[in-house]
Amino acid sequence: MEMLLMGAVLSMFGLAVTCLAFGAAARGEKRPEPAEGVKAAVPATRFFVSPPATQPRVPIEALLLQIENHVRLEQAAAECFLESPNAALLHSRTISPLVN
Amino acid sequence: MVNADLLKGLAEDEAERVLALGKRVVLTTGAELFHLGDQADCIYLVARGRIRLTLPMQVRSRDEDVMVEERSSGQTVGWSALIPPYRFTLTATAPLETEVIALPREALNQYFAAHPETGYAVSLNLSSVIGQRLQLFQAMWLREVQRMVELRCA
Repeated sequence: MEMLLMGAVLSMFGLAVTCLAFGAAARGEKRPEPAEGVKAAVPATRFFVSPPATQPRVPIEALLLQIENHVRLEQAAAECFLESPNAALLHSRTISPLVN
Repeated sequence: MVNADLLKGLAEDEAERVLALGKRVVLTTGAELFHLGDQADCIYLVARGRIRLTLPMQVRSRDEDVMVEERSSGQTVGWSALIPPYRFTLTATAPLETEVIALPREALNQYFAAHPETGYAVSLNLSSVIGQRLQLFQAMWLREVQRMVELRCA
């Protein structure tokens, strides 16, 4: 009887130690909450404020001129190719800012 | 105008007779000669000035007419008038005061039926104008495809 009680107490003690160890391990895995100061540093998205563009936008009139200039340069390049057809002239580089 | 690209190889008096089938039209700066999709009844020879040929393009969600070609004195514009389905595939405007000779398809067809040698010479010249345009745009198109391939493989 005494042996049985001793076994039961030891089992309960072992179970308690296992629970404590598991609890400590689970607490250790939790991600730390960011500090209040760090939260404030992240810019909040605003309804009427669009995010800043990665590249400055070219005015549409300038863009249309660039397109026209590109067409002229491409025509000139194509005419050169037609005068003397060869692969090097066909794939000659352009100075057009539209593609550079 | 007897030296226009469409009339090459014709004797001067014969070229004059062909030109007499048309009428001179003066366009003020910015005036439109024809619009994309319009019925094409006349072919035009540029007598002086310049004609801008444009196609619509979406630029930042706006429809913009983008110049694809320019034609000057002695050159032909609007050969869609001689090719079915007789619809213009571009829009033509005058960037400065320009004079063109409008040659109606009906009048040309009747004249060429009566003068087949003239019709043959003009047809050859027209083939040359169309062929040059085809070759030019073929080369331009291939250059754009090449750039696209380079961008994709970069």
